[in-house]
Amino acid sequence: MNISLCILEIAVVLVGVALLLLDLWTKPQRKHLLGYLGAAGLGLVLVGSFFVPVTDVPQTAFGGMFVHDHLALFFKQLFLLATIGVLILSVEFAPRIESGISEFYTLSVFALSGMMFAASANNFVMVFVSLEVVTITFYILTSFMKNRMQSLEAGVKYLILGALSSAFLVYGIALVYGISGSMAFSDIAAKSELTLESNIFKLGILFVLAGLGFKIAAFPYQIWTPDVYQGAPTPATAFLAIGSKATGFVLILRVLYSAVPELALSWEHLFMAMAALTILYGNLCALPQRNLKRLLGYSSIANAGYLMLGIAALSPSGSTAILYYLGGYLFTILTAFTVITLVSRSAGNEDISSLAGLNERSPFLAFALTLSMVSLAGIPPLAGFFGKFLLVRAVIEQASSYSAYYLLAGVAVVGVAISIYYYFGVIRAIYWSKETPDTSPITTSGPIRFTLLAGLVGMLYLGIMPDRVLKIAELAAASLQY
Amino acid sequence: MTDILFYLLSTLTLVFGVLVVANPFSRNPVTSAMFLVMTIVSMAGLFVLLHAFFLAVIQVMVYAGAVIVLFLFVIMLLDINQEEKRRFQFFGAITGGIGLLSIALVMVKTITTSNVGAGLTPELEGSTRALGTALFTQYVLPFEIMGILLLIAMVGVILLSKKELK
Repeated sequence: MNISLCILEIAVVLVGVALLLLDLWTKPQRKHLLGYLGAAGLGLVLVGSFFVPVTDVPQTAFGGMFVHDHLALFFKQLFLLATIGVLILSVEFAPRIESGISEFYTLSVFALSGMMFAASANNFVMVFVSLEVVTITFYILTSFMKNRMQSLEAGVKYLILGALSSAFLVYGIALVYGISGSMAFSDIAAKSELTLESNIFKLGILFVLAGLGFKIAAFPYQIWTPDVYQGAPTPATAFLAIGSKATGFVLILRVLYSAVPELALSWEHLFMAMAALTILYGNLCALPQRNLKRLLGYSSIANAGYLMLGIAALSPSGSTAILYYLGGYLFTILTAFTVITLVSRSAGNEDISSLAGLNERSPFLAFALTLSMVSLAGIPPLAGFFGKFLLVRAVIEQASSYSAYYLLAGVAVVGVAISIYYYFGVIRAIYWSKETPDTSPITTSGPIRFTLLAGLVGMLYLGIMPDRVLKIAELAAASLQY
Repeated sequence: MTDILFYLLSTLTLVFGVLVVANPFSRNPVTSAMFLVMTIVSMAGLFVLLHAFFLAVIQVMVYAGAVIVLFLFVIMLLDINQEEKRRFQFFGAITGGIGLLSIALVMVKTITTSNVGAGLTPELEGSTRALGTALFTQYVLPFEIMGILLLIAMVGVILLSKKELK
């Protein structure tokens, strides 16, 4: 037993418990400031994570339940960054949450601990338990504004569909266990001759993928996304967009490459179809949207599709591209949702029309939102472009052996072309709106400016100087066996 | 003998389960809750057949006992005598039917085409001692994470049910 491997998770849980306790001794009017304290605590953990020793050979703890390798560390740092951004954003959002703001911070930190455990999962029991920690926390976070009908509706929809997807996941795990007799990924991989010819085993893995597909909002498990994104409090939406999606992807990568590597290679048609349909569905449905959060909900489906390209490629370069893209997506989404929170504070809703005159009200916010939309649309020289480039390149690399991959790459390019239309609709609303109902300047606090600046620097850095992060992503993706 | 009991209990579970959601004789929610008790008790019988005695007892005590009593409390406090008649949704019925049929088709085809094998000997012989040992040695990490999960659930329930938090 090697408990020191999960030191980061223990630290995160302690930060969460500390926030919950500190709430008792904090005056109500100062409670919203606890968010900064939480962000500072997680910042320390993030700094500490760079000093955690990691070897090229994966280390395991708790009888192989928990694995510590480059991939786990990459995702843990990604989750920590995302949660720090979300906490700072929640402080900005605090006046709109009537009660229990410190619990909002606490629950976000606990969700982070679930994500971090998921990044290290090496056993189906861990997959299920860590995923439930994340999902159950999100049921609460989405319905947090209980005086708003929309938020409650989002919470109930997420609860019902989430419970259904968990049922699929558990059923799949039961079938896998029934055939292989083990829940550990290494044991299942060792029995590949036995499992490869069993259809029941394949059905089990298919159900597991269905449960995980719900988390990443891939077609045909995407139906909840727009309603939940629109109804949830904006920080929860941002967390859902980056945290929940990245959790789903790390688990899919682990299950596919650690537990069933041979089976995964024979399922390229399934992944290709899923990727293509997800891209088309997300981009086409985003076209008529007028609500910014709903638009980003459909855009998140489309992005799940782009990320699925990396799965469909079934190659180390595909996995590297997924990691790189998620890194860029983190900065882009955080910037976009931070600006939306600030703008909707005065407008009261998240309609695209409320962005009118943003350039006069705050040129910095207008610039930040524009840059994040440009990055999402995949235009150079930003992070979104380079991530999409890597994903499409990974797909085309495979095309020499199987020409249907050309078709998939074509669908991705068509998707990007469609997406430019609606992302530029947002930019048009910022700069070229005819009537500007509200011209009062928007004030920003210091920490918010810091997050926005970090987001902008991150997007530009990942777009212009990709070498360093790409090396880290390659190292992390190399932890998986192909 | 075990086979007969297995088929008997599975049939009962399925029949009672259907009666929970679609009872042609009664639309009273209390009746549905009572059929849920019967479903759970028949499932407990299935656990006994698998030598999982502890699980069977927990199933009866926690689900059939505590959870259903809670259900009945809510139903009776809200005084729901008759479930509201919902409009029959044609589109919903068709898509639901297609979904159900396709999953059933895949499952039946899977089971008939694959070699199920001899089956595993149960690792746990149902005693609480073996279960406890497994929980605190092999599965200690998921067990501890469940602790976090319960804390989250508790905080969440208090938050969502309380009107005004100070």
